[in-house]
Amino acid sequence: MLNHPVCLCAFRPFFLLSLASGLISLFLWLGFLQGWWVMPASTSGIIVWHAHELLFGFIMAALAGFILTAMPEFTRTPDVGRQIFIGLGLLWLLGRITFWLSGWIGILPAAITNIGFSFSLWLFLQPRLLIDPLRRQWLFSMGLAGMAGISLGFYTDILRDIYPMRWIHAGIGMMVALIVITASKIAMRIVNEAIDALPKLANEDAPDEYRSTPPRRNLAVFCILLFTFTHFIWPEARVNGWLALAAAASVFNILNDWHVGRALLSRWPLQFYATYWLIALGYLVLGLGYLGLVVPASSGWHLLAIGGMSLSVFSVICISGRTHSGHELDARSWVNLVALLIVFSAISRALAGWINLSINTLYFLSASAWLLGFLITLYYMAPVFIKQRPDGGKGCEEPIDL
Amino acid sequence: MPLIRSTFRELPSYLWSGWGAICSLLLLMAAWQLVSEHYGSLVLAQPLETFASFKQLWNDQTLPEALIITGRRALSGLFLALALGTGLGLLAGVSLTASMMSRPLVTVLLGMPPIAWLVLAMLWFGASDGTPIFTVFVATFPMVFIGALQGARTVDNQLYEMVQALHLPKRMILTELYLPHVFSYLFPAWVAALGMSWKIVVMAELLANQDGVGASLAVARSHLDSAASMAWICAIVLLLLGIEYLFLEPIKRQVERWRVTEA
Repeated sequence: MLNHPVCLCAFRPFFLLSLASGLISLFLWLGFLQGWWVMPASTSGIIVWHAHELLFGFIMAALAGFILTAMPEFTRTPDVGRQIFIGLGLLWLLGRITFWLSGWIGILPAAITNIGFSFSLWLFLQPRLLIDPLRRQWLFSMGLAGMAGISLGFYTDILRDIYPMRWIHAGIGMMVALIVITASKIAMRIVNEAIDALPKLANEDAPDEYRSTPPRRNLAVFCILLFTFTHFIWPEARVNGWLALAAAASVFNILNDWHVGRALLSRWPLQFYATYWLIALGYLVLGLGYLGLVVPASSGWHLLAIGGMSLSVFSVICISGRTHSGHELDARSWVNLVALLIVFSAISRALAGWINLSINTLYFLSASAWLLGFLITLYYMAPVFIKQRPDGGKGCEEPIDL
Repeated sequence: MPLIRSTFRELPSYLWSGWGAICSLLLLMAAWQLVSEHYGSLVLAQPLETFASFKQLWNDQTLPEALIITGRRALSGLFLALALGTGLGLLAGVSLTASMMSRPLVTVLLGMPPIAWLVLAMLWFGASDGTPIFTVFVATFPMVFIGALQGARTVDNQLYEMVQALHLPKRMILTELYLPHVFSYLFPAWVAALGMSWKIVVMAELLANQDGVGASLAVARSHLDSAASMAWICAIVLLLLGIEYLFLEPIKRQVERWRVTEA
């Protein structure tokens, strides 16, 4: 089993698990919303089930896959051992099974496995994240610790019979902050490659290099986490409105780095650019809602979750998944199609309750577009994850020039 | 013309760069919200109450009319200070003797608190426009004067010797050496004077006049109308921010571009 190509690198099983769990849980959710079937019994209610599975299932697996692969590269430490990531993968899988069965077997097994997974991930990576004397990866360390703490809080609330949705919202905030941190690292490469790939026009005054500005990124992370914190402790307070608007402005502020001329219109930079836009719009909608505008808060949360998180998960699966499997980046048109489907999904879900169209129709359109998008992704990416590397590589390294 | 063209070309990216400032202001709004909720609306109106009051004052024309009156007074005093301060400061800068002679006078003017000038102005001009205009002039004049004086005195000698050696035409010496250098001292002084003028004019109106933003602020205070008071303050601050970031800052970036290039 350990010699199968799927165990070549940590992202392979985790990206596969992420895609599979996302597709299954959203398909079940769509069927439930359309009245096709009832959901499995769970201790915390059906909306929590939906949010939990997409956050701690789909997104968490993608994060684990990315971070277990990228951290050795960022910190120049050896690749993560196969036994370690297979063990973590099994723990994550147990987390899904026990949570889905929580209506019958109680919440304790789900609590142990899910909390165990997020703490194990953090504790395992902690020495690598802090090995750098300059502590350049400390934000990742804080993010993983935050997710572990949120998982602990979520299950503590359930065990105390308290509705745990506030922890899901905190988890979305923490994850969005992690996306902002991660995207700036990935962008340094993909945007500069896009700039280099374009011929320079004679009278063009666009910058010839993309540079991520740490103060802008840090301001955005600060604003996002501040809103997450105040929303957690005062869920109904009006101050959340101003802080959400500040978070939106801070994300728009990051885009100053991204205005690099024609290179921005290349597919990979454009995907991250769209992610930032959708995150900013999510916080804008949340902010306006808190300040008295009649907009459903769920629109804002879904812009963050689908637009910000799902789209960035898709980009990371495509970029990290292919380059660390020995492939060049995918130039086929399905990538653009899937990105459009996810953006469509985010916008159609966000419009539910705003426009004069049946909410159920919009739910159906949004979920269908999301499912179709990630089904296409699974179709094109699964062979990459379960087959040997085409360049003869034996691990996580980037394409080897022969 | 190229200056205007490049200003317009860079306008979208300049405007987009404002998101950072907007973010900071929104964080300030959050702090304002928290403080107002803690102390109650009588002490500090909430931001949304303030904006509602602002909208009402705008809709019934009270706000635009008061802003025009206050703006006229502030700009009159400011233009007087800019014209005289710049002219006299440059003249003083050209002559070492005049420079030495004027420094103590300017120090006295700078050290005199504006409220003291206001008391004198109220004695001299009463409740007329003269009081705020004079107070603005006398408070901002020394800042502009010092800026112009320092600009004129600190032209780089080596550069001056170089243009002498190269026998550059006088027009070129003026536009390429003197003006950019002097402007780099003058412009911050003008901007500081502008900011100061708005603060002084409101203070002067509050104590001496029957109309304008300052007088309206006094009326709002006497009615214990915290929302209206904050609305008037917001009007002044917004106008100042608008002038500084939409008008002065783009000009400053263009005219001081040589500094960035050098760096």
